[in-house]
Amino acid sequence: MSRNGYDAIVIGAGANGLVTAHYLARAGKRVLVVEQHESPDPSLDIGWVPAVIVRDLGLAGAGLRIQEPDPWITAPLEAGGTLELSRDIERSAEAIRRISPADAVKWPEFCRRMRTLAGVLERLYLAPPPDIESNDARELARIVGLGLYVRRLGKQAVIDLARILPMSIAELLDDWFENDALKGALGALGIWHLKQGPRSGGTAFNFLHHHAGSRGGVFRPARSNITQALSSIPGVELRRGERAAVLAKNGRASGVVLEKSGEAILVPLVVSSADPRATLQPIAFELDPEFARAVDNIKARGVVARGTLALESVPGYATLCIAPSLDYLERAYDDAKYGRDSAAPYVEVQRTDGRLELHVQYVAPGTHEDLTHKIARALNAQPNQVQVQAAEESLYHGELTLDQILFMRPVPGWSRYRTPIEGLYLCGSGTHPGGGIPGAAGRNAAREIL
Amino acid sequence: MKRYDAIVIGGGHNGLVTAAYLARAKQSVLVLERRPRVGGAAVTEEIFPGFKFSMFSYVVSLLRPEIIRDLDLPRHGLHILPLESTVTPMENGDYLAAWGDHDETRRELYRHSPRDAEAYDEYGRLMHFMAQAVKPILGMVPPDPTSFAPGDLAGLLKLGKHFRDLGGERLHALVKLMTMSSADFLDEWFETDVLKATKSASGIIGTFLGPRSPGTAYVLLHHYMGELDGVFRAWGFAKGGTGAVSESIASAARGFGAEIRCDAGVSKVIVGNGRATGVVLENGDEIPARTVVSSLDPRRTFLQLLEPDHLPSDFVSDIRRFKFRGSSGKVNLALDSLPSFTCMPGVGRQHRGAFSISPSLDYVERAYDDAKYGEFSRRPYMDIVFPSMIDPGMAPPGKHVMSIFVQYAPYALNGGWTDAKREAFGDAVVNTVESFAPGFKSLILHRQVITPLDIERITGLSEGNIFAGELALHQLFFLRPAAGWAKFATPVRGFYQCGSGTHPGGGIMGASGRLAAMRILKDGT
Repeated sequence: MSRNGYDAIVIGAGANGLVTAHYLARAGKRVLVVEQHESPDPSLDIGWVPAVIVRDLGLAGAGLRIQEPDPWITAPLEAGGTLELSRDIERSAEAIRRISPADAVKWPEFCRRMRTLAGVLERLYLAPPPDIESNDARELARIVGLGLYVRRLGKQAVIDLARILPMSIAELLDDWFENDALKGALGALGIWHLKQGPRSGGTAFNFLHHHAGSRGGVFRPARSNITQALSSIPGVELRRGERAAVLAKNGRASGVVLEKSGEAILVPLVVSSADPRATLQPIAFELDPEFARAVDNIKARGVVARGTLALESVPGYATLCIAPSLDYLERAYDDAKYGRDSAAPYVEVQRTDGRLELHVQYVAPGTHEDLTHKIARALNAQPNQVQVQAAEESLYHGELTLDQILFMRPVPGWSRYRTPIEGLYLCGSGTHPGGGIPGAAGRNAAREIL
Repeated sequence: MKRYDAIVIGGGHNGLVTAAYLARAKQSVLVLERRPRVGGAAVTEEIFPGFKFSMFSYVVSLLRPEIIRDLDLPRHGLHILPLESTVTPMENGDYLAAWGDHDETRRELYRHSPRDAEAYDEYGRLMHFMAQAVKPILGMVPPDPTSFAPGDLAGLLKLGKHFRDLGGERLHALVKLMTMSSADFLDEWFETDVLKATKSASGIIGTFLGPRSPGTAYVLLHHYMGELDGVFRAWGFAKGGTGAVSESIASAARGFGAEIRCDAGVSKVIVGNGRATGVVLENGDEIPARTVVSSLDPRRTFLQLLEPDHLPSDFVSDIRRFKFRGSSGKVNLALDSLPSFTCMPGVGRQHRGAFSISPSLDYVERAYDDAKYGEFSRRPYMDIVFPSMIDPGMAPPGKHVMSIFVQYAPYALNGGWTDAKREAFGDAVVNTVESFAPGFKSLILHRQVITPLDIERITGLSEGNIFAGELALHQLFFLRPAAGWAKFATPVRGFYQCGSGTHPGGGIMGASGRLAAMRILKDGT
């Protein structure tokens, strides 16, 4: 314990930062969490909340609510009416039958096969990534165990895994379905938070990544108030409205300095849930040039704007998806490729706690004059009903592309939450398993630290 | 009628390589070619009197050195001439050039960016090493990860060990190469846009992907594979065109005793009791054989030569969804004289190398955008060479031939390909060249425009895909052409596959043909 009484400082009070803090606290450490924002973000966390975190940290008793709306998606159809997909696979098949009998027949099998693959990811995600370079017998045994687990799922699962992960979501969906509206609504999940279009390789993986944790036949992640619940449980000290920078010298982290007050807090252990680039670039002079270059090369291109929609009455849907076809999404991406916002963006409206939240893609970071008009047009609403926040850099601190996952995340060879700076760890969504699974990286990191 | 030990269907380079290896092992072999000449897509034809063209495939870089040695191809007339430079004209009138002389290339790069000139050597070293690391994989029969057979498990372990032995940094580079887009991969190394565009253009050849599509970085490696063998430089010309490569392999095969019959298209493989027993020719003749080998692409091999009830139904559906999506065309021109490019006026050594029409990443990406929505590129990516500058025998004295590889021309063009669309495509190509070399159009004596549909009609390659099936990650290795059947055998006993649609596939490499022959000899059917 240092003089100020803390054993560890965690930077950032998002889900991952708080999960790490609480796991450390439970292991007897005195933890201070420093968060730059004054007030908590009112919007919900999106993504699978692993049950093991809920159990370990007793979140059920802390007011944790997990929403899994049913039907989970509503997509307007060009010919009028909507396509509604439900948790019940049969009911979804019924709805799909109205637009394509052939697709309806394939739906249950598609859901089953995707569920199997997502199950493999779930297993990979609740532990640090396999270290394929390791010569440690335990690690090798774990890798072999994983291999055997996959093979026990059957021949089809092995082939699917090898075949589908590098595929584009468009190729995957074209293999199965014919209907544009169905493929658009599903395909949108494949491009979530990626600067890639549905025809880009690796988007099928992104689709499965966001399917992890959901039941079969549900292809939108759950929403929860996990960050709020984590903030309300005792055990760690939280200081808001302070931006912390890492103090490092001679290859060792010595604490943080608070930017506003200039106060330095010296501790032997610093864990950052912030973007790895934001954490490490300011101390680049302490890093090996190769490592520093790898950090600079992390792709984290922001493509999502968030906002809210104000309607006079509460709409009938829980989630409205404007992605009428794969081509629509691909054209939206085309604009982004050349540095423009999508003329016709992919928009999703999520109704949570009486708020209508927007996910708009593709939008470059920054503020944009005519974005509200584009969104309003896509939604058939009035521009004054749409409120957009300034779009941010990638919320995932690193795109979930195949070259930035598992042992390549956040940078190749440094996927075990450590950094070359002794005493400095990473625990945010820039680390394995990445964004869209609040708390998973935080838990893995804490276990690795302990 | 004579019963052969082996009949090889299709006299493309892979079929010929298989035939030569089988004949070398004292088997009686018959090659059946539908067209009047061997070569498939590696043919030289005198399309206009006095003007000879490598009609489709036009450069050689990947032909396996062990094949050249085993078959003693130089003795059979194979002679590779180096193609030393690449010049990329830029829209602002400047250029980027890579010369045969390394130091000169460095100076040229330095002119664009000192930083990139520094990075270039390191990049080259890494790519050389990676190519070296990947090459053993090209030469191995892919193990089946779904199988519990000892051979497959051993193969997987060997593969795992091979990768681990690369060491961390290189293993990571390999993962990046396998998964990234060429644009993203090059972004990590270079800042000069035209350099990235020209390098990434080699990553899109034959694919239906753009430089910003993940999966294209892998093809960057191909560029470095030929160079390493020490046999020829990165890209070369075969003296007499690529047809001469096929002819030399055919000559070697004949030398070992193989028979080659042209104008002999095969309509069906005869199957009795789940075993191939011979073939039926298009003219109705039947020829019996102990083993039948198809060098045709997977779609033709399994869906055309066989009846569906010869094959398991899930295998048939795997083959049905194997992707072809031809994306490239070719324009062959007879020229009165050589064109002068604005960026490097006059006629000179630059004409002995390639011109790459890839002035910027956005340019190449836009060319892809057109194709994505079913149109040919209005301003396409092009790889231009003047074979008559290297091998004067290709054109009459003083005249020249110009070979333009063009991308993208989608097989599934909106409304389908017609004669008018073909000419419009040819016009787009010629007009784009004209914009970089004013006055070029007036030099054209004859013009041949080849669309993917033409490639399909003439060579038989489904959808005009030059690799006999897309080289996408999910169609490589143990998935090429289908899981469980990537080891050259097929569900029909005595029937084998040896074309580019099998591992490793693509380019005038011959590796598939060689591996297939090894497998057949090992099975000893």
